[in-house]
Amino acid sequence: MDYDILLGKPAKDKSRKKQMREIIFFKIFFLLPAVLFLAVFMYYPIKETFQLSMMRASGLGESVFIGFENYVRLFTNEEFQSGLINVFRWAFWSVVIQIPLSFFIAFSLVAYRNKMTNGLRAVYYLASVLPSAIVAMLGRFMFAPNFGIIASISRKFNWIWLDKVDFLGDPRIAFWSVFFVATWAYIGFYIVYIMANIEQIPVDIREAAELDGANRWQYAIHIVLPIISYPLRIIAVLCVVGSLKLFDLPYLLTGGGPGHATKTLGIILYQQGFVNWQYGKAAAVGVVIFLLSLIFTVAQFSWQRKEGDIG
Amino acid sequence: MKKRRWLLFVGVMALVVVLLAPVYAAPRVKLTVWGRDLPDEQADHAYIRALINNFKAKNPDIEVDYIALGDPGLMDKTKVAMANNKVLPDIFQTWGGSTMGGYADAGRLLDMTKELKSIPCSSAAQQAMTWKGKIYGVAPFFAIAGVFYNEGIFKKYNLSIPTTIDQLEEIAETLKSKGIQPFACGAKDKWPVLALFMYLTDRSGGVQVFNNAADRKSRFDNPEFIKAAQKYQEWVKKGYFGDKPLSETYSDAQQLMATGKAAMQISGSWLCAQYANKEFTDQTIGFFAFPEMKGGKGKITDVMGMPDIAFAVTRTAANKRAAVVRFLKYAMSVEVCQAEPGRICSVPGVKARNPLTEKASNVFTQAKEIQFWWDQNLPPMVTTPLLDAMQNIFLPNADLKKAFTTYESLVEEVMGPVKK
Amino acid sequence: MNDAMVEKNKKDFRTGSWFSGVIINGILILLALSVIIPLLLPWFFVFKTRLECSYNPWSLPTQIRWSNFAEAWTAIRIDQGLINTVIVCLGAIACTVPPAAMAGYIFARYRSKVTEVIFYLILAGYFVPIQMVLIPLYKLCSQLSLTDTLPGVILSLAAFGIPFWTIIYRSFFQSLPGELAEAARIDGAGHMVTFFRIMLPLAKPATVLAVLLVFIGAWSDYLLSLILLNSQDRFTMQLRIAQFLNAYGVDHMPRYAAAAIIAAAPTIILYILGHRWILRGTLAGALKG
Repeated sequence: MDYDILLGKPAKDKSRKKQMREIIFFKIFFLLPAVLFLAVFMYYPIKETFQLSMMRASGLGESVFIGFENYVRLFTNEEFQSGLINVFRWAFWSVVIQIPLSFFIAFSLVAYRNKMTNGLRAVYYLASVLPSAIVAMLGRFMFAPNFGIIASISRKFNWIWLDKVDFLGDPRIAFWSVFFVATWAYIGFYIVYIMANIEQIPVDIREAAELDGANRWQYAIHIVLPIISYPLRIIAVLCVVGSLKLFDLPYLLTGGGPGHATKTLGIILYQQGFVNWQYGKAAAVGVVIFLLSLIFTVAQFSWQRKEGDIG
Repeated sequence: MKKRRWLLFVGVMALVVVLLAPVYAAPRVKLTVWGRDLPDEQADHAYIRALINNFKAKNPDIEVDYIALGDPGLMDKTKVAMANNKVLPDIFQTWGGSTMGGYADAGRLLDMTKELKSIPCSSAAQQAMTWKGKIYGVAPFFAIAGVFYNEGIFKKYNLSIPTTIDQLEEIAETLKSKGIQPFACGAKDKWPVLALFMYLTDRSGGVQVFNNAADRKSRFDNPEFIKAAQKYQEWVKKGYFGDKPLSETYSDAQQLMATGKAAMQISGSWLCAQYANKEFTDQTIGFFAFPEMKGGKGKITDVMGMPDIAFAVTRTAANKRAAVVRFLKYAMSVEVCQAEPGRICSVPGVKARNPLTEKASNVFTQAKEIQFWWDQNLPPMVTTPLLDAMQNIFLPNADLKKAFTTYESLVEEVMGPVKK
Repeated sequence: MNDAMVEKNKKDFRTGSWFSGVIINGILILLALSVIIPLLLPWFFVFKTRLECSYNPWSLPTQIRWSNFAEAWTAIRIDQGLINTVIVCLGAIACTVPPAAMAGYIFARYRSKVTEVIFYLILAGYFVPIQMVLIPLYKLCSQLSLTDTLPGVILSLAAFGIPFWTIIYRSFFQSLPGELAEAARIDGAGHMVTFFRIMLPLAKPATVLAVLLVFIGAWSDYLLSLILLNSQDRFTMQLRIAQFLNAYGVDHMPRYAAAAIIAAAPTIILYILGHRWILRGTLAGALKG
């Protein structure tokens, strides 16, 4: 076959040097498509964004270089501060609520396996495939003040305490309503992912645990959790990076309001760039999101290295 | 087997290459128009449908490529296109004012003063399409803000159209005691909050309050603004906007009006078609001008307004002026404007198609002073922050003075401090 | 790793009371219902007239009317957008999956200092919020004459998809036993032959997952296509639906709900048809993370 020339002859016939060259050629050939794509469509725009974050730019007309002024203005701005706080809150609570919940569902699906739970596992993932516009619409059907289903039901049964709750308009509650919808939409992937990892645990380990007299939940906490800690951390990274980028659900459900109650960095980025014509500031927000994600992920990965490879 | 896999891979790569080859269309002279609504059967799209379809039928020599982009879509897309300045539509739908002015200042628009000056049109509409003395487009429909009210409910409780704000408050109290939400607003979407605020400010301090602040002769946290905001907040606290005003969207507000659960709404006359449509509401809805304040400087004839449907021309149309003028003149013709079921037309000789629009038109024609909707009259950098500041009115514990001072400092950053 | 082993691992617990089983199963059913019920909400609206819907949004429809669907369907004119959407989806798959698989393979199996650095560079792409680069991206596309072309959308989508799938493929190839590849190499197979004949077929679960999820992602894309496409005849289905939803707003709730159902139906149908593969793919792809 003609591609033999391209691929090179079998390894054992080769001198070491030639082999090395071949490997390098092979590496370059295989990495090239991905690197090219990213270089052109990602790094070039990112470079532009970094430059833009140092400018006063409205998108129209001349841009003026102003150094770090955009960043200084951002960090002294109340809106940005609440955005930052919300994003960290969101990240914290997604790790604390969504991951344990996913673990509970995933472990139950594995440990209490029967015909019915086999059917259920497909259901949990269903919400994850919907476009966020649809998810937000469903969220509004739930929480809307007058025609929303919760408001309607509570009025019908005269549950005044429930009717009084303003799910999307009360600054203390709005965050949680949006978070609830997001949990509904996002945990499907985590469940399936955790479940897959639990199913990879060799059966002997479980039998040993059972011989020691452990019940399901003791087994889950003392044996399963340590074994799957690495995939759980991957999910934690996804959760945190996802929170930093978070835009569409809160934007569609509350527009970041009331006040700054559900503003995220993603919303501020969009509003500065597309609504307020402050390209420079928008770029600066983007850079902050980017750097925070980077710092978090690098920290996470290096912490892991130190602990050695578990799982 | 191995050959097939290799072939598949090559096939996939070949597909990539084919898809990579950009599709170059043959150059053809045509008008590209970006608008908001689809030209379809929906009642409130009647004007755009008549305009696009009839124009195409009557002008076979001009190819019109009309693209409906929806609400945030039209603005987002126009913005990116204008910033990039390479691919622009020839004509785009706009709300005039400072956004259009920003494009004009950046040289993206085409000065059409000579061609458009003579088109018969209300002066307010022409004013709205003028920036620094040059006309960039036409506004066949103009919207004003006023009070929509439920005539049936007013009759039932013997309420009459108020002439002072005190009377308006009395009406609100009566309605509240009958279990009807006095005002529908839609504060979740932020911008609906502005209409009442503009009137409260104007009726107490007159049009100069805003004009001075916008011209940087006074600050945005001056006592007149705070006073209006506090009045507004007092109404919110009294429950005039229902008990969950901040999660009410603009369309929720329309539902409340349509079902008679709310009795009044201060908003723009673009709602006339909707509220006169028996498929949308079985209530009879009327319209009155926002009442005066006792001892205030503002008059009942001060009216807030902005273009409802308007088109502006970009620089890419420079060599198709004739076609553009034909399109815009047709957009301003009585024939097409008559298709519109509810908006207030700026073309003389077009009759209102329903009593609600007629009432709104009367308010418009009696207006002596038209102030442009504030968010159309400020640079885009400070319009959304204004609405953000205003949403604070609906937060029970918000420090309004602080919110407006924060806003003022942003305005100083963008437009400079107050000139002494 | 192989299916037989997974089957064995699935063996039931011997201990544990039936009582906890009932409670846990009850909770699982409740949670599953909380996923399904919201999906049914739009169906309350779609058969009603506007007024009926305004007054009694949550009552059962008195009459089954399909007119809202019919109107939404004709207004969206899905047929035209569908072709564009399918092209975008297939193109996105073709441009995302092979580069990601190839790069992931190198990062997993040919590790060196240099490849690790490149891996982190690609990983960094995952942190970029798409709104951040929208304007430079548009500028770039117009320099390359890619605005208003489907390839422009495809290439941008691919650039945003490659980082994630490279991570997934890397972890997948890492989890595959090394012996097979070594055996092939000893038999005299070149690097590429090893990849295409041994490793890629082994990675089938990851590939199936990638193909399906890239498809679903490209299917739902809105922002990129909105910014990059200008002419009506190149609009994707999602843009047409958004055009419709935005133009009508929520003030025609029944029609809005009908359009939303039409918009969500393809992904849900695709998921129902493909969920076995998606679940299996995620299952196998999830090894070690």
